[in-house]
Amino acid sequence: MFSRSTKRLKRSAAIAAIAASAALVLSSCSGGLASGGDEGEEETGPIKIGMLAPFSGSEAAFGDYMKFGAQLAINEINADGGIDGRELELITEDDACDATASVAAAQKVVTAGVVASVGGYCSGATLPTLPIFAEANVPMVIPAANSNALVGQGAFMINGTGAQQAEAALTFAKQEGATRVAVLNDQTDYSKDLAVTFIGDAEADGSVEIVLDGAVNPADKDFSANVKSVTDSDPDFVFWTGYYQAGGLLARQLREAGYEGPLLVGDGTVDAQFAAIAGDGFTENVFGTFTKTPDMLEGADQWIADYQEVSGGADPGPYSIQAYDAVRVVAQGMKDAGTTEGTAVHEAIGAIDGLELSSGPLKFTDEGTLTGGGFVIVTVGPEGDFILHDDLQG
Amino acid sequence: MFQLIWNGLFVGSFYALVAIGYSMVYGIIKLLNFAHGDIYMLGAFLSFVVLGGMTGILGIGNLPILLLVLLIAMLLTGGLGVLIERVAYRPLRGSPRLSVLITAVGVSFTLEYAVRQIWGPNPKVFPIRLSGDPIEILGARITVPQIVLMAVAGLLMWILQRYIMHTREGRAMRAIALDQKASLLMGVNVNKVISRTFFIGSALAGAAGVMAAAYYGSIDFLMGFVIGLKAFTAAVIGGIGNLYGAMLGGLVLGLLESFGTNFFGGEWRDVFAFGFLILFLTFRPTGILGERVVERV
Repeated sequence: MFSRSTKRLKRSAAIAAIAASAALVLSSCSGGLASGGDEGEEETGPIKIGMLAPFSGSEAAFGDYMKFGAQLAINEINADGGIDGRELELITEDDACDATASVAAAQKVVTAGVVASVGGYCSGATLPTLPIFAEANVPMVIPAANSNALVGQGAFMINGTGAQQAEAALTFAKQEGATRVAVLNDQTDYSKDLAVTFIGDAEADGSVEIVLDGAVNPADKDFSANVKSVTDSDPDFVFWTGYYQAGGLLARQLREAGYEGPLLVGDGTVDAQFAAIAGDGFTENVFGTFTKTPDMLEGADQWIADYQEVSGGADPGPYSIQAYDAVRVVAQGMKDAGTTEGTAVHEAIGAIDGLELSSGPLKFTDEGTLTGGGFVIVTVGPEGDFILHDDLQG
Repeated sequence: MFQLIWNGLFVGSFYALVAIGYSMVYGIIKLLNFAHGDIYMLGAFLSFVVLGGMTGILGIGNLPILLLVLLIAMLLTGGLGVLIERVAYRPLRGSPRLSVLITAVGVSFTLEYAVRQIWGPNPKVFPIRLSGDPIEILGARITVPQIVLMAVAGLLMWILQRYIMHTREGRAMRAIALDQKASLLMGVNVNKVISRTFFIGSALAGAAGVMAAAYYGSIDFLMGFVIGLKAFTAAVIGGIGNLYGAMLGGLVLGLLESFGTNFFGGEWRDVFAFGFLILFLTFRPTGILGERVVERV
């Protein structure tokens, strides 16, 4: 008797649970559909703009740099009266620089009803979100991720691509008179892509010889094995394509092992922390390929002060200004299109001509990349931050 | 060639220091303490904090200050090891070994992400940097800090060896490792000895963390993860539970990595190291110095 009643109780509890979860699924579905389809309600509320960026994981620092940059642009546009009287609202989600997390995050912001996306830091995490945003008819402007795999997929990229960066790196290597080049990557999507493109360019060009194509484990602190293979290959130019955390250590260990030639780093390593990690006296003859940052721009002081107001005192970092620009590009697209409807905004963004960005006046190629790559060569200044060395214009 | 051997021995001495704690804890309570690598990380962060509090006297003489900080950090991480054992492992001592193992993984994540919450996800730059002009010995570039750090590691291991083999407390540890219940019946305070084991093992891992921080100059909240696994590998290679085995295993693993990466490239370093872990577990699970254990009924 007792056992039967508990069994029945269990069964009815199970049915109730199934019913409840079914109801939940249904309601969340219909909620998602309604927010996508019901134009009348959306027309008056704020225009939601989504941003996926890493707020956790090894690249977590960049998430805040991008978020505050985007928020600053949104504050400025809202102070100016918004777009057709509607305010902009930024919705950020953590992609943890991880493909699985980014897919979930993309679905979340789409469900939240965003009409444009201004995120994307890690290329490997950004790539799988492209079809999700495309299916939801959400135009994407990617501020940071720049792997070649992203090109021609319908998204706009306002950071130069890996191909453009590799080109700038090769131009600089030749300018320095390099003949034997060693290339090291840190096995991330971005870093490998840059290394492979650079090596391809160099081989096609034929002017420099690639004496080493190596990779490091970015989680390591000790790179003696890599450093030894570099010194064994006897290069007169080293190109490091990975991020600054390992880059700083690598720079120091290369110097300690006796390599004295120029060290060129990709934009992932161009960060004020680089010099601190490498240490005093280990940043001589270090150069970087980079798209311009706020502190290299004219009249940047005001922008930095505004940024600090939004961020609560923190300084802007890599991609703060690109995220700021991404929001302005999206806003311009919506203004030009006169609507927030995805296809119209996408077309309007593609047609933008001459909007002044940090990297220069904006014009997209047919593939959604910048017509001007905007890559410059920077070097480590006396304060340890990167300063402009050569704009590669002549 | 000599450069390869030197690089291997240098990295290996860090592995050995961390592996000793791993091996001691396993030897005594049969627990794979996955949080051990994070004690190494905490050693680096605690010394970072201690150094932050004494910026005034930095630069007077970095090496003596570093040794002082090393001692402080060893006491702190040792205490922390005891605390972790008390809070997370002791209540589970009677439970199946799997529960304790999972708890250890939990402790590891707790420590990592607590540190991330406090100091942030970015690498921190360590205030003291050991660097010196390299000396050429047999064609290898060797720096003075490398020699000093290896000497400190060697000294710590020598003290530990004396302690375990020639003192009453050391004998108690060896007795518990042999047979916990019998030791208890013979009047050994088992809890106290286990606490002491955690203290010593954690202090050594903390010391390795401080030394790595001062040598490489950058610390981050995940720095203990891989070295924890490497220390486990070193302990297995040498013969887990065996004190000399842990030291030998650390050096052997360092050398294997050094030669392996030279032939296959740096990106193969971890593949190579953990490949050896699998080989050892398959063909010689007792390690180089371990003896075949006879199951007694």
